[in-house]
Amino acid sequence: MAKDTSFLEKSRQVEPPREAYKWIGKDMKRVEDPRLLAGKGIYLDDVQLPKMAHAAVLRSPHAHARILSVDTSKAKNLPGVILVMTGAEAAEVTGPTASFASPPCPQYCLAVERVRHVGEAVAAVVAQSRYLAEDAIDLIEVEYEELPVVVDPLEAIKSTGDAVLHPERGDSNVAIERTLRFGPVDEDFANADQVIERKLRWPRVGAVPLETCGAVASYDEGTGKFTIHANTSMYNYVGWLIAVSLNVPSHRVNIIPTLAGGSFGSKLFLHKVPTLAATLARASGRPVKFLEDRLDNLMNCDNHASDRVYNAKLAIKDGMMTGISFHVVDDYGAYLQFGYGTHGNALSQASGPYKLSSLEMNLVAVFTNKCQQGAYRGFGSEVMNFLVERLADAAIEELGDDPLEFRRRNFIKPEEFPYRIPTGNLYDSGDYPKVLDEAAELLDYPGWRKKQEAARKEGRYIGIGVATCQERSVFSATEFWFLNPDEAQGFTLTSSPEGVSVKIDPTGKAMVTLHAPFWGNSPETMATQILAEHLTMDPADIGISYSDTDSGLNGTGPGGSRYTVMIAGALTGAAGKIREKLLTVGGHMLEASVEDLELADGRVSVKGAPEHGKTIAEVALHAHYFRLSMPDDPLLTSGIDATHVYDHPLTTLPNGDRTDLGVFYPIMGHMCHMPVIEVDIETGKIEFLDYVAVHDCGTMVNPMTLKGHIRGGTASGIGTAMYEHFYYDEQGQLLNASFADYLIPTLHELPVDLRTGHVETLSPFTEFGIKGGGEGGRMGAPPALAAAVEDALRPFGVKIDELPLSPRRLRSLIRAAASSKV
Amino acid sequence: MKPSAFHYEKPSSLDGLLDVMGKHGEAARILAGGQSLVPMMNFRLATPEVLIDINGLSELDYIRQDGDSLSIGALTRHNVIYDSPLVAELSPLMAEAYKHVAHTTIRNRGTIGGNLSHADPSSELPAVCICLEGHMILRSKQGTREVPAGEFFLGALETAIQPGEFLAEIKIPVRKPGVGSAFEEVSPRRGDFATTAVAATLQIDGGICQTARIAHAAVADRPARIESAEAVLEGSALDKARINQAAEIAASETEPSLINYHGDADYKRDLLRALTKRALQRASENSVN
Ligand SMILES: Cc1cc2nc3c(=O)[nH]c(=O)nc-3n(C[C@H](O)[C@H](O)[C@H](O)COP(=O)(O)OP(=O)(O)OC[C@H]3O[C@@H](n4cnc5c(N)ncnc54)[C@H](O)[C@@H]3O)c2cc1C
Repeated sequence: MAKDTSFLEKSRQVEPPREAYKWIGKDMKRVEDPRLLAGKGIYLDDVQLPKMAHAAVLRSPHAHARILSVDTSKAKNLPGVILVMTGAEAAEVTGPTASFASPPCPQYCLAVERVRHVGEAVAAVVAQSRYLAEDAIDLIEVEYEELPVVVDPLEAIKSTGDAVLHPERGDSNVAIERTLRFGPVDEDFANADQVIERKLRWPRVGAVPLETCGAVASYDEGTGKFTIHANTSMYNYVGWLIAVSLNVPSHRVNIIPTLAGGSFGSKLFLHKVPTLAATLARASGRPVKFLEDRLDNLMNCDNHASDRVYNAKLAIKDGMMTGISFHVVDDYGAYLQFGYGTHGNALSQASGPYKLSSLEMNLVAVFTNKCQQGAYRGFGSEVMNFLVERLADAAIEELGDDPLEFRRRNFIKPEEFPYRIPTGNLYDSGDYPKVLDEAAELLDYPGWRKKQEAARKEGRYIGIGVATCQERSVFSATEFWFLNPDEAQGFTLTSSPEGVSVKIDPTGKAMVTLHAPFWGNSPETMATQILAEHLTMDPADIGISYSDTDSGLNGTGPGGSRYTVMIAGALTGAAGKIREKLLTVGGHMLEASVEDLELADGRVSVKGAPEHGKTIAEVALHAHYFRLSMPDDPLLTSGIDATHVYDHPLTTLPNGDRTDLGVFYPIMGHMCHMPVIEVDIETGKIEFLDYVAVHDCGTMVNPMTLKGHIRGGTASGIGTAMYEHFYYDEQGQLLNASFADYLIPTLHELPVDLRTGHVETLSPFTEFGIKGGGEGGRMGAPPALAAAVEDALRPFGVKIDELPLSPRRLRSLIRAAASSKV
Repeated sequence: MKPSAFHYEKPSSLDGLLDVMGKHGEAARILAGGQSLVPMMNFRLATPEVLIDINGLSELDYIRQDGDSLSIGALTRHNVIYDSPLVAELSPLMAEAYKHVAHTTIRNRGTIGGNLSHADPSSELPAVCICLEGHMILRSKQGTREVPAGEFFLGALETAIQPGEFLAEIKIPVRKPGVGSAFEEVSPRRGDFATTAVAATLQIDGGICQTARIAHAAVADRPARIESAEAVLEGSALDKARINQAAEIAASETEPSLINYHGDADYKRDLLRALTKRALQRASENSVN
């Protein structure tokens, strides 16, 4: 599509970007760090309640089986065991766990009647200690009747009968098939000079945070109320769904967040673990801690991410990309957690940074006997980036073009923003040539090309990758439902709000309450810097805490690179109200009218006469204790406090037939990754020689923490590209369900110095022009590395269509290429 | 991931160790550094009724030269060996192999005796012991016996240690003057067990290879020498072609049977070829003719 300025008028930006800032844009040390680095952070496992007991879970050894009987008598008789609960028993008191799928695909915290993947929970034990609970687990006897196992997603399309995982949804393992077309697809392909085709395979990998998922739940029989400590997010968005599962009204559940030791998406909405812990607490009459161990987490958590097989085509006319058409089969595993949201998400940036006129997607989502998918850094869009960049690289190869020139030519130009892509989503702003140029310069791209040529003469295989990718940020919620089958027409416009509460105490200190948890990112630092900027306060005078659901406002929490943008929005609203109150009270104290006052350098003072003023602390003291000394005004109450809920900055409805998905992910970040690698062609091992990543996340709130996100995200991207893979064998056994075999790259596997750069193109829609950057490098590293390895192995004519780029895979590609040459 | 219940014994002398071993028989397992045993217990792959902790037995913790042998007590920590100038001088192959063994924190606790008794087929040290034709000193109430490394490893996690016996010492022949050695490995990540590893020593005299020893790890259920490759080297001038021939033999005549996600048979053959070639090249370079 094209430039569309009509949206600029709808911008709800209150705080335009400034020329200069006092706190925003500074490398302020994280306020979270002192307690975390000193080991004083309170994580889930630190929560101890009086009389607390411990749970462990029996997991299915089979990928697909009917549960014929469960004998718990021996386990119950073990001294120290308080409760043994089977799936059938749990289902009598607790309903299905929360799911966003349509039509629904019921899942329980303990499997009922049937297990659908290895590691699915079958029964649980509550005992005096986790040790005893595991002893009792070993004593539970389960009789299974094995059912046919479906592992290959392409086979799953054909399943019938007993091989069908959810017969109540029909005699098929196809969860949904949907074709969406945007723009003149047929025309673009009919008029093409070239049509590039690629078959691609994106592997099942996962977020695998250091801390697993956990909950400590207690049930007060007197009040009928649950209290659940958990390392979940979204508790102030959809936390009430846990109450629905527990069959109690939502005001009978209070969810208290703990610090999360990493999530990367996998704790987005943690519900199976809290639902189970609460169910066990109610049944046992004891507070219950259930913290997954690594096996629990790898086999059964919400870790696993997109698992896709692509068949894709790109139309080229006069050296320009015009249309992309792809068929994708996505292996969702045994259940549907977030519906088809990961494909909705991907359509927000389906044309990458390029000017395409048409797009077509044929999606087939299938069920197989694997762990269900959850959310992981990118939520499906990182796969779309891989697809678009692989197609671009294939076109470059076929046209004999230059990787930088081809991209430059096809980029949406800086003056064309805001720009609507064929799917209907809007890209708010960007300067892609500038990001590319900066990366090329930082890397010394021409220099590396020369070194590459020289090395090739010595029989060394150096490769340089280029990937220019999008990082959409700030989701609205429409992506979660607009792909649902036609019979579910969806909703009216949905939001994904973020709230904040701010109060200034009598001594002038600010207390900020966030309504979303700490996830390993820097929410406290972001809130501190932004509020300090607004209220001209010293960051040391700002304290941050987290609400529970009893006290919480709307809070969607981190995810989809949204938190900094959204909390900036909420704080802008709240700070505006606080400033107004400070000026009003200050006006009474100074006997000046509000219009003549300003808030600057931590003081309310008369414009042009700064010596005539009061500090925030003086004003706060007055506001808290001397209200009645001021004139009567029903709006003037004691104290200084404000809450503000900020809604998604810009979203519109999809149309009925989904030929236009509307604006749903418009705050568009961008990146260029350029790795330089060398392949040892005899062993297939890859070594990093250099790595440059330049990102554009709009106004940077804290360049230092952003750099951390880029580096950490790139490390996860390197994991996906080169190391990680949840590998199920034909029987549906997860063969690498431990960190000995599921390979997360360590410091040794990463580039020694991952060099980063920034370009700031400011969003016209968000406060201060901030865009999201949380998912960072994982969105760009995989296509960049695929390109680099393909470049290194060009003499062999090897094509990289599948990840991970394990040395075994590279050797088999080289071997095949070498033998076909003979 | 919690172990099942066990009793715990901590003898304070070697005789005490033999006593408690005799008392508990096969129900007991020795606990050395715990770096392999404890994970297995946490996964409940090992459920010993009794753990006999030998960490109090400092008499098993030493590195010394005994004439032509380098003697290492079973309880000597990996990192102590790795950092030992004596080991670097008397057994450069072992010192080099240690670069590939686990991570610092694990090497701080893990012991050479625990490693060899555990007999993981993907471990580096068994291959080193085989390549260097070392001996294992086993002790029991009945006395002491010496088992050649080549007869010690019987299969994956299987050794010649009999009930009532423990591994007391590892004896490695001191490197003969001029002998070159090299250890080559590919592992999924740094510090991981090998996908494939090759250890080699070469004694070269007047450009002619007198003795060649080549051993592989992570290829079969136990490390082994690649004698057919050794044979084409011994008695020959060591040029590039000869080394390539030996590497080719190592790849074609070894049947990889330890197959997993990280390495199928074809890949392990590729690695045997590449690593044998590299190990031989380097060993010939650092041998003093
Ligand atoms: C993350 C990780 C990575 C690792 N990577 C590597 C690697 O790359 N290469 C490698 O070689 N190893 C690796 N290891 C294993 C490490 O080397 C262990 O230290 C070693 O295998 C076992 O030594 P230990 O002293 O810890 O023995 P333990 O775990 O205490 O015992 C191991 C076994 O040996 C028995 N045993 C111990 N001592 C004696 C004795 N004196 N006599 C008879 N039986 C005995 C025990 O009963 C037990 O069965 C790794 C371990 C970890 C956790």
